[in-house]
Amino acid sequence: MWLVLCETQDVAAQWAYLGLRARGVEPLELLTSANLAQAVSWEHRLGDKGAYTTFTLADGRRISSDAVRGALNRLLTAPSALLPLARPSEKEYASQELVSFFLSWLHSLPGPVLNRATPQGLSGQWRHLSEWVCLAAGAGLPVSSYALSTETGTGYAPFQSSLAPPGAAVRTVLVLANQVVGDSIPEAMAEGCRRLGQLSNTALLGIDFAANAEGYWTFASATPLPDLRPGGEALLDALATELTRG
Amino acid sequence: MVLLCGIPSESPLALVGAQLRRLGVPHVFLNQRRFAYTDLWFALSNGHVSGRLSLDGRAYRLEDFRGVYTRLMDDRALPELKDEPEDSERSRRSHALLDTLMQWCEVTPARVVNRTAPMGSNSSKPYQSQLIREQGFSIPETLITNDPELVREFLSRHQQLIYKSISGIRSVVETLDESALARLDHIRWCPTQFQEYIPGKNVRVHTIDTRVFATEVVSNVTDYRYAHLHRNGETTLSPTQLPDKLADRCLRLSRTLGLAFAGIDLKVTPDERVYCLEVNPSPAFSYYESNTGQPIAEAVARFLSGHWA
Repeated sequence: MWLVLCETQDVAAQWAYLGLRARGVEPLELLTSANLAQAVSWEHRLGDKGAYTTFTLADGRRISSDAVRGALNRLLTAPSALLPLARPSEKEYASQELVSFFLSWLHSLPGPVLNRATPQGLSGQWRHLSEWVCLAAGAGLPVSSYALSTETGTGYAPFQSSLAPPGAAVRTVLVLANQVVGDSIPEAMAEGCRRLGQLSNTALLGIDFAANAEGYWTFASATPLPDLRPGGEALLDALATELTRG
Repeated sequence: MVLLCGIPSESPLALVGAQLRRLGVPHVFLNQRRFAYTDLWFALSNGHVSGRLSLDGRAYRLEDFRGVYTRLMDDRALPELKDEPEDSERSRRSHALLDTLMQWCEVTPARVVNRTAPMGSNSSKPYQSQLIREQGFSIPETLITNDPELVREFLSRHQQLIYKSISGIRSVVETLDESALARLDHIRWCPTQFQEYIPGKNVRVHTIDTRVFATEVVSNVTDYRYAHLHRNGETTLSPTQLPDKLADRCLRLSRTLGLAFAGIDLKVTPDERVYCLEVNPSPAFSYYESNTGQPIAEAVARFLSGHWA
């Protein structure tokens, strides 16, 4: 069995689910955060023999880690239908306990997992733009200068997620298992994208490039949770191959 | 130069500061409570990190810091921000300093004890247990569930269970006794962690770069950190020596987790089986140093300054 794990509104994941089924990746279960929030029982065991997980959903589906062979994982946060009912004083504690639990379960999924959970993100490691800029430079990609400052009125922009100037043309590529798909970029940049995937330890990575004032394409941003659809049929083929390898 | 970040009077930070002073290593405290008088900026250009830190009007080049020790606290708990609205100018300024400092720590080539991302493994104990197991340590049999029946069955197999939080929020480790069993239905709200109780001696191991300090802990309560809360609760600490292979395994575990400095909690059973219960990425080592005299702060100071001589 393969899993597609995603938020309820994640149309890119649902697009991938249909594409994977069309390529014969079956049995394939689509599990949304709403499904997981309504799980009636969880059993997550750890020991010297490794990890084992079984859970039963409200619709009767029973998912056991023994049967899982791989997953496309796009969960953003730990789902809980009950969290709003927690006492205000316990809400933060309960929320963190749930995230910790989901991190452990998702990390323990057997087979290829795109992307495997990390403490910095349930579907792969989210990084601040400054870290992506540093890694992109290390990968040999063309990168503009970047600055972050606390000084009043200067460059404190904590939520800046891209170096692309407003209105700039953007090209998007996706890196999966050494393949670069999506918009057309020169081979030298594609090689840099592969290196960025390796340096960031992110199996499925979305990278945006923006045209700078001189018309050169420079690194703008990267994410472990990209829109998959720009990858088209080539990405679906690569996903199917990667999930079913071995 | 070494940068020490946090509250200067906090024991671990103060101890490392004292050792740097003793060693004659230039250092400066970034007092988190002085956020209103602190400015920081950094820039990245062609993979090079530069910037400036301004403390009470005195400026330092970020490139000059070869070592950084962070003991930063959640700034919402700072006395200066008590009763301060989250969106006030003062709160925003404190958050901006904390955020910018943490981001710089992730990209600076300086020795950072410890960078933020590697510290994340401790935010999920069962996740960290999986990484610990991969390094060859035994881990306790663990069940995380929202099903009371599974807990009763688990208890029948292990005789004695403990339960504790799985997130980074600190909790007291408790034994699953009759009164806890009577409340077992509460777990239906949130999966809860139960572990077989491992008998034996507690050993806290501090690793700093290539050095290892092991402390044996003898206590008559389940969670020795809270012995003072129990009537007649007692804990004694003494230095101990680890076998070379075990010391190497501890160093490898810290390295794998990306931690230059770590506090590793071991339990050694009467038949000498070694369980690793947890790795603390920001160990409050002062408790151990003050009870044993082990020179942990000095080792941290030497690592930050880049010399072991």
